[in-house]
Amino acid sequence: MRISLNNICEIERYVDGTMEQHEAILFEARIQKDSLLRMNVLLHKKVLALVRIYHRKKLKMELEEVHNRLFNDPNKFTFRESVMRIFRNG
Amino acid sequence: MVINDLKLALMVMEADLEVIPTPVLATSGAERDIFFEEMYETAFPAVASFVRQMDGSFQDAKDIFQDALIIYLERSTEARIIINVSSERYILGISKHLWLRKFKEDKQKLSLNDFERTLYIPTDFYPSIRSNRILQFLEVAGSKCMELLRSFYFEKNSLKDVSKKLGYGSAHSAAVQKYKCLEKIRESIKEKSVTYEDFFE
Repeated sequence: MRISLNNICEIERYVDGTMEQHEAILFEARIQKDSLLRMNVLLHKKVLALVRIYHRKKLKMELEEVHNRLFNDPNKFTFRESVMRIFRNG
Repeated sequence: MVINDLKLALMVMEADLEVIPTPVLATSGAERDIFFEEMYETAFPAVASFVRQMDGSFQDAKDIFQDALIIYLERSTEARIIINVSSERYILGISKHLWLRKFKEDKQKLSLNDFERTLYIPTDFYPSIRSNRILQFLEVAGSKCMELLRSFYFEKNSLKDVSKKLGYGSAHSAAVQKYKCLEKIRESIKEKSVTYEDFFE
């Protein structure tokens, strides 16, 4: 377990660009030779991409709440009217 | 053509030198709630007017505005470039891009100004069906990990704050857990990916 966590730590530093340049060059050479490492780097990027999609999905849910509040709260009548006016007429 | 590109490059450089007046630091739902409401009140009417001009509906305006706001938040917390225009102009510009992405035929009707042309829209903003399917699985099978990784990488919380918010004993144990989660999610994706191409999307 410990060895594999160290590997992930290394992959993370390589992907986010915090690795020193000379270290990154060595790491790239290893990627060329080691197909498992190569796949794990790709998968790491995929993990981050999916977490990003997850984050956006959650933000969208938060926005939905704010939207419903603004378009129902009696105190926000003026705001609501000014928006609805845009879609009326014509 | 070359001259235009040069002009654009110079503009981007100038923009880089400006200091952003209010960087958006919204690392929690409560902070974002306030920020989102503010943005709704200041920037939504302009987006709604634009969408109306393009013959769109209230629902169109809502969808486009919310997506644009998410992109704005992302760019202002993550990007190395500095946003030197008002949030309203930025969000309106992003909205125009998103509109064109949805309704390509409106290209003739809608002209972008120099600033708007420099805006960047993430290419993966509308995820593929396959990504959505894997995500649905992860939300159930790895929800705690997804929350931890989200909090650290995209809400930009420090490991110390992550440990407090999500109930890990210390920054150190949150760090260990983060690596375990990276491994766990990675292995889940590997299992769920039927073909090699799945990794690249």
